[in-house]
Amino acid sequence: MIHLDVVMPRLFTEGTRDLQVRLDIQTGTLTALIGPSGSGKTTLLRLLAGLENPSKGRITVNEEVWLDKSNRVNLPPQQRSIGFVFQDTALFPNMTVLENIQFAARKDQPDFLQELISATGLNAFVNTRPAALSGGQRQRVALARALVRQPKLLLLDEPFAALDSTSSQQLRQVLLELHTRWGTTTLLVSHHAADVKALADRVVQLMQGRIQSDSLRDERLSTTPVAEPITRITYDEVLSLWVIETATTQIRSANPAWEQWKVGDLLQLSARKPDRNG
Amino acid sequence: MPIDWEPIWLTLRLASVTTILLLLIGVPLAGWLALSRFRLKPVVEALISLPLVLPPSVVGFYLLLTFSPTSWLGAWLLKTVDIQLVFSFEGLVVASLLYSLPFMVHPIQAGLENLPVSWREAAYTLGQSPTRTFWRVLLPNCKPALLTGIVLTFAHTIGEFGLVLMIGGNLPGQTRVASIAIYDEVEQLHFETAHAYAALLLGVSFAILLLVYAINKRVTV
Repeated sequence: MIHLDVVMPRLFTEGTRDLQVRLDIQTGTLTALIGPSGSGKTTLLRLLAGLENPSKGRITVNEEVWLDKSNRVNLPPQQRSIGFVFQDTALFPNMTVLENIQFAARKDQPDFLQELISATGLNAFVNTRPAALSGGQRQRVALARALVRQPKLLLLDEPFAALDSTSSQQLRQVLLELHTRWGTTTLLVSHHAADVKALADRVVQLMQGRIQSDSLRDERLSTTPVAEPITRITYDEVLSLWVIETATTQIRSANPAWEQWKVGDLLQLSARKPDRNG
Repeated sequence: MPIDWEPIWLTLRLASVTTILLLLIGVPLAGWLALSRFRLKPVVEALISLPLVLPPSVVGFYLLLTFSPTSWLGAWLLKTVDIQLVFSFEGLVVASLLYSLPFMVHPIQAGLENLPVSWREAAYTLGQSPTRTFWRVLLPNCKPALLTGIVLTFAHTIGEFGLVLMIGGNLPGQTRVASIAIYDEVEQLHFETAHAYAALLLGVSFAILLLVYAINKRVTV
């Protein structure tokens, strides 16, 4: 379990006020942070990573104290078990894809490194420099690099922001597979409703540095209409999957029968509890 | 009149030694200035930049007083390590280090400050220390700034005159660098020799700059 209770003065659109957030995050879940620009989403990620210093607060991760201002405990980012995917990817241009991922890798886990590269679909690019990659490929490298130390907490700051819809879908698929495989507790900042719907177990909405709403996936699913017209159908050649989108949902399948579906067809959605492992 | 090559070699030796030593001193110093939040940083920056605004004769005069065997420091250096910094090649090196310091530090500091902060933060979140981040991530991405610092330092040292004259005088083989030799030859109305030195210095300087900028272009492209 991750406990976060922080206060930090910050400039918002309505002037300087305290960002004040109290949040408990279940281990192994994927929580999405949504909200308008300047609502404090990225600041919250940076506070968890130790890149910002709050005026008051406490952060514990699986009983390990990362921050306790009253007892003057504030672990630097190097001592926090985190993986951070920056919005601009922050890949090191002087290193190849492999060198970027290897940079922080433990020397005694070559198999894990290879597994990570395969899982993120980067085998063909290992000797390429980041400048020669597309936006989606760069985000996958950043994701692999962030996971290479097998962190307790994965922090994703708008990883889909600069991607087109195809790249975004591919990255979402990779992210979901990695999350299902390793169950890393993940906090995702996103503006895109599709990311949140496809990925998150829980959605926390921030407004002016405060939590405005907090809902679980089950609650959101129960309010989802049971039948919706299909708005878009695409075939992801890289992952060999059909991707069908409605106004509120995105679903994927390798089932060839999906080929006959078309835009406008009514998609019957069941509101059963999702089974991630099934 | 046959040309004496000694001042040319001495100039190149002085410029090379100064550049190498300043690279060793200037890179960590520029890194510290670019990345530290030390409160008195502006004081250090002002001190480093002083040679940019002071006439070389002022710097040379104070260095002459400081390193003179009659001064406390000069006497101590002579007694403990048997080094006399005035009117010696070693003295020229020390003076050039101080005088050319901003030419090495400023470009590298600016290069480091222009790198995205997220690179540094990404390295920290990957568990890397500030030192390893500096050497493995930040500095390798500052090659053009490094080359600029090297070129400016080398070129500036080649062109030093007032400072060299103040602290080194005109001792053949010791402190008589090319710029002093040109002045000396002109004073004696040996325009042909002065012209040979000047043309040689011009050619060498241009060739070095051309080479470095060509390399720089390849690095940045």
